Amino acid sequence: MKKRANFLFIEKQDDVYTVSMTPELQDDIGTVGFVEFVDEDNVKKDDPILNLEASKTVLEAYSPLTGKIVERNDKAVSEPALLNSAKTEENWLIKLSDVDEAEFNQLEDA
Amino acid sequence: MLNQEDRLDYLIRYLLEEKPNGQELAQSELNSMDEKFELFRGLCNVREAKLVSDEFIETQDAFLTEWNHDRKITRLDDLQPVQSQIYLWKGDITTLAVDAIVNAANSRLLGCTQANHDCIDNIIHTRAGVQLRLACDEIMTEQGRMEAAGKAKLTDSYNLPSSYVIHTVGPFIDERGVSPIKEQLLASCYSSCLKLADEQGLDTIAFCCIATGEFNFPNERAAEIAIQTVKEYLSKYKSKLNVIFNVFSEEDLTIYENLLVNE
Repeated sequence: MKKRANFLFIEKQDDVYTVSMTPELQDDIGTVGFVEFVDEDNVKKDDPILNLEASKTVLEAYSPLTGKIVERNDKAVSEPALLNSAKTEENWLIKLSDVDEAEFNQLEDA
Repeated sequence: MLNQEDRLDYLIRYLLEEKPNGQELAQSELNSMDEKFELFRGLCNVREAKLVSDEFIETQDAFLTEWNHDRKITRLDDLQPVQSQIYLWKGDITTLAVDAIVNAANSRLLGCTQANHDCIDNIIHTRAGVQLRLACDEIMTEQGRMEAAGKAKLTDSYNLPSSYVIHTVGPFIDERGVSPIKEQLLASCYSSCLKLADEQGLDTIAFCCIATGEFNFPNERAAEIAIQTVKEYLSKYKSKLNVIFNVFSEEDLTIYENLLVNE
């Protein structure tokens, strides 16, 4: 199941929720040149999860859900333009666990 | 005691001497105060964030204090609210003696670096003094990355009549126009500034028309977002802040009047 919130996609697979870029966000910010994830693992909905410096804007992205960050797309730190890719395998940001499924279900369908 | 022209001469000499090929910029004889002032302003605009002598600061502060106060200064008491806690005022934001004025910054957050550029970031930094760029540089060095759109940072206002400057970076609108993301970023600019002002215990904040200048946000839509965000914030958080919408152009005055007064 795929949802959207805070201009990001969230895909649920078992108990892991993968947060990735939407095409609208990619179009709006332009080519990404710098990515920095927050160090904090436990995030609440709307807490910052990463900072992006792109050709058209500098942006802080906010978590669409409360949960625990179990994985970050570290490859995007060394190769930021991956976040401009159309493929979720490349443009994902973080993976969350410990998410309240009801909160996820309430989000807008993608 | 030095007069204003003596002070300007000293400041220009100092700024030229610290530049590697500064003397070339000196051009021909500068005769009028206006010409001297424009050179001083341009040199400050392009000056990097680096240490400056105490004597320079002292002379600059004396010059700017007199120059900034040699105009009509406006306080909250001089204005009438158009709605509860909300004021509309047309004029130069650097003449406002209120707790905080909002600066429409860019993501480097160091002030406009284009000599004598006619933007709000330029005039706020010029009239505040070179200390403002140093203060911003300190914030940015500590942060270690560029400033994201929609956030807010507070500094002293140095020689301005206001107490503080709140710096915020608006969304830049390109040829594809306004998008939902950019609308939300503009709303975040307003709510982040209000939140910061409340955290600091301020009474009054004056907003410029964020993102409508160099950043091309359409004026009417920007005003709608500004007013809606401010009203929602004040009621949601029961904030006691007085909010001044500061407009500079006749066009923005009409837009805000239509939205605030004639609704």
